[in-house]
Amino acid sequence: MDKQHFGQHSSSQFNEELESIRDHMMEMGGLVEQQVGEALEALLTADSQRAERVLEQEKRVDELEITIDEECARVLALRQPAASDLRMIIAVTKAVSDLERIGDESSKIATMAITLAREGESPHGYMEVRHIGNQVRHMLRQTLDAFVRFDADKAVDIAEEDNAVDMEYRSAMRSLVTFMMEDPRSISSILNIIWSLRSLERVGDHTSNIGEQLIFMVKGKDVRHISVAEMQRELKDPE
Amino acid sequence: MDTALQYNQAARRASADADSENPMLEERAYPEETIGEPLVDNPKMSIRNVDVFYDRDQAINNVSLDIGRNEVVALIGPSGCGKTTFLRALNRMNDIIDTCRIRGELRLDDEDIYGSAMDVVELRARVGMVFQKPNPFPKSIYENVAYGPRLHGMAEKRHELDDVVESSLRKAGLWDEVKDRLQQSGTGLSGGQQQRLCIARSIAVNPEVVLMDEPCSALDPIATVKIEELIAELSQSYTIVIVTHSMQQAARVSHRTAYFHLGHLIEMNETNKIFTAPDHRLTEDYITGRFG
Amino acid sequence: MATDRNEQAGASRLRRGLQKRYRRERRFRGYGLTAIMLGLIALLVLFGDIIGKGLPAFQQTHIQLEISWDREVLGINQVSEAELKQANFDALIKQALRERFPGVDARRQQHQLFKLVSSEAGYNLRERLQTDPELLGSTETVALVANSTVDMYMKSDAEARADDRQITEVQRQWINELRDSGELGFGLNTSFFTQGDSRNAEQAGMLGALVGSFYTMVVTLLLSFPIGVAAAIYLEEFAPKNRLTEIIEVNINNLAAVPSIIFGLLGLAVFINFFGLPRSVPLVGGLVLTLMALPTIIISARSAIKAVPPSIREAALGMGASRMQVVLHHVLPLALPGMLTGTIIAMAQALGETAPLLMIGMVAFIADVPQGFTDSATVLPVQVYLWSNTPEESYVALTSAAIMVLLAFLIGMNTLAVVLRKKLEQRW
Repeated sequence: MDKQHFGQHSSSQFNEELESIRDHMMEMGGLVEQQVGEALEALLTADSQRAERVLEQEKRVDELEITIDEECARVLALRQPAASDLRMIIAVTKAVSDLERIGDESSKIATMAITLAREGESPHGYMEVRHIGNQVRHMLRQTLDAFVRFDADKAVDIAEEDNAVDMEYRSAMRSLVTFMMEDPRSISSILNIIWSLRSLERVGDHTSNIGEQLIFMVKGKDVRHISVAEMQRELKDPE
Repeated sequence: MDTALQYNQAARRASADADSENPMLEERAYPEETIGEPLVDNPKMSIRNVDVFYDRDQAINNVSLDIGRNEVVALIGPSGCGKTTFLRALNRMNDIIDTCRIRGELRLDDEDIYGSAMDVVELRARVGMVFQKPNPFPKSIYENVAYGPRLHGMAEKRHELDDVVESSLRKAGLWDEVKDRLQQSGTGLSGGQQQRLCIARSIAVNPEVVLMDEPCSALDPIATVKIEELIAELSQSYTIVIVTHSMQQAARVSHRTAYFHLGHLIEMNETNKIFTAPDHRLTEDYITGRFG
Repeated sequence: MATDRNEQAGASRLRRGLQKRYRRERRFRGYGLTAIMLGLIALLVLFGDIIGKGLPAFQQTHIQLEISWDREVLGINQVSEAELKQANFDALIKQALRERFPGVDARRQQHQLFKLVSSEAGYNLRERLQTDPELLGSTETVALVANSTVDMYMKSDAEARADDRQITEVQRQWINELRDSGELGFGLNTSFFTQGDSRNAEQAGMLGALVGSFYTMVVTLLLSFPIGVAAAIYLEEFAPKNRLTEIIEVNINNLAAVPSIIFGLLGLAVFINFFGLPRSVPLVGGLVLTLMALPTIIISARSAIKAVPPSIREAALGMGASRMQVVLHHVLPLALPGMLTGTIIAMAQALGETAPLLMIGMVAFIADVPQGFTDSATVLPVQVYLWSNTPEESYVALTSAAIMVLLAFLIGMNTLAVVLRKKLEQRW
């Protein structure tokens, strides 16, 4: 299965339905990516208005999730998709719920940004947030890009990147804990930073889940719960 | 919103690129060898390098596969792909057609099906057949089922014959529906009942393999479900090869599925595998309805 | 607005077109109905004419005479084969007539008197005595068959009677006298059903032709049915489809269209001249008619076999039946009704056939009822042909009566074919 596989069904209506699911999925991905970026900006610049906009967008994301799920259910019921179509529907329903979670996490970050803006700035940890945030945003962009292009190989890179994010996250934790021990007064604001980092790390996990769904969709192989090395072996092995 | 638009454009560009390059042509070519796992250990029937010709036209091209014991094998593929021809080669029903020639090796339990030691009458008793259109003889239900055993001298006495008729009808799940009208004509039954009668008729001679040529294509959905149910039950004691146009049916009833395309066996594998992640492009296209 | 108008215009055009179409349809139905009516009228006229002419032939004028079975007049002592042959039964009749009309003395007049009674009435009396020898010596009233001229006179109306030149004035007096006294009357024409052909119309019957037809048909049926069915089964079920079988097929179809007289010539050349079989016998007639009936039977049997669905054959083959078993167990039982129908129709055709039989000499005058397949015989349609060629007016009624009998048989056979088909037809 590869990128231009759509549009070749004998039933043109089926084509349109699949096309519509993909378009909605991409729209949702774009929104979510935007949300993550905005939430991050809001946090870093303590811009509570921008944070409010993120919360506002969350509604549209939820609507899209419901729309896509309904479309998938209809295709399942009416078309009895098989093989690549079936895998795509399954992958999309799962990816969509991951996207929705990413949206939730960015809402959390936005809420955090509002709180931080109210309480006044805390310079500690912003470096880490910016760094990890950019990494996660890159990951998300790559994943969605790969999804559009049905590029399974990129999904492996994404999994690797997620591991890097996790490592960054752990080292950031350690340094933030050190800050808290040095300056107990900053604990409450640093906790907010930690929550934000935690959310970003979760975004990374969800993103790598989407990458796994992408592999399932393209290659028909289930690569969940295995290491990156195993994943690479699976994909190389032509069987 | 901008990003979303961007992705859509990216997706369209991607497919436009691919269209112009058209990398598919190569992928749609026939594979050198059948993809998947056409062979099994200790098969009931083994078919090696079989070609079938009608006059000059080659209907089957170098097909090799195994049919395991007590296994349901589904043959799928677009019309004219040779699956029915292949099925009929398995019990030499093609012998009737003068112009039909067969090359290659077909074995039933290590006996050569087309060998001189194999009697065609015995073969057809061992490899029964159920046809697309229910075709009971215009005789009584009892006579329909008793025909085979009588023909092959399997049940001489009346009570033996009665037993065979009852057990065959029971196996076909028809006994309760017809036990009070065994002497009525078999053609008076409903389509689904007729097809089950045909199945009872073919299992009355206790075959080892039952070939089914689109057994449900003339039936309504409820009758179809009953036949599928029956196939699942029969697979306990018989090996079944079924040709079907309904991919859902193949997916529901079979253990392994073989995909034929213009006389070539493209891919054969576990049904589960074929229907979720087929390996060959042609199989994929057929199963997802992208064919043609 | 514009589209509205367009739609309206379209609808009204459609309506006009529809009416035109319906009119055309009605006209078409009318043509068919007219054709059928014409056919029916022609049939009714034919039947009316034949029945009108033929019905009187089933009646006959009888004269009741006081017959005394006198040994002296007969010239015999007892009833025995040898003596009966020499006995003078005509004398009995003459004596009875003389006694009835004692005043007739002149030879000329006596001759006319004797001519009232059928010239073959003596044979009837002989048979009567033969079956009942006890009669010898007794006296009884016997209804004797009148001469055909008397019969004609009796059956015609007053105007025609006045013109009748075959009956003399004195005969007319006697007839009137006998009729008024009730001694001259109508009775059932038994000789028509019990006698062979005769030169005397009043004694001519069609039993000979009927039996001849029966023997001929038996030969035809026994030969053509098995041969035809076997050929059809071979061609349909076993023969390879190649050029040879194609040629055979075409030729069988052509044979069905060959004029029947050609078969007669063939029969004459082959069976009579080459094999030396006797002329004008039912055996040869049957052989010739077999040749004629075969194509029809083969064609109908083949179409009956073709009508057996191939799925039945496949089912049986799939069960492991051999080719022959498939034919015997399934194809033949299912095709039999169609084959029988075809055979009966072919038989009906053969029964009505004249031309080929003329060629093999079955057109001779044969007075005796045939006793077997090699006795000289004639058949019903030939009998009709023979009688219709006879100049005597009294044979006209006989001809029509024979046609009625022939038609009755044909209609009966065709009905049987329909009934058989309806009854034996299998549905699958």
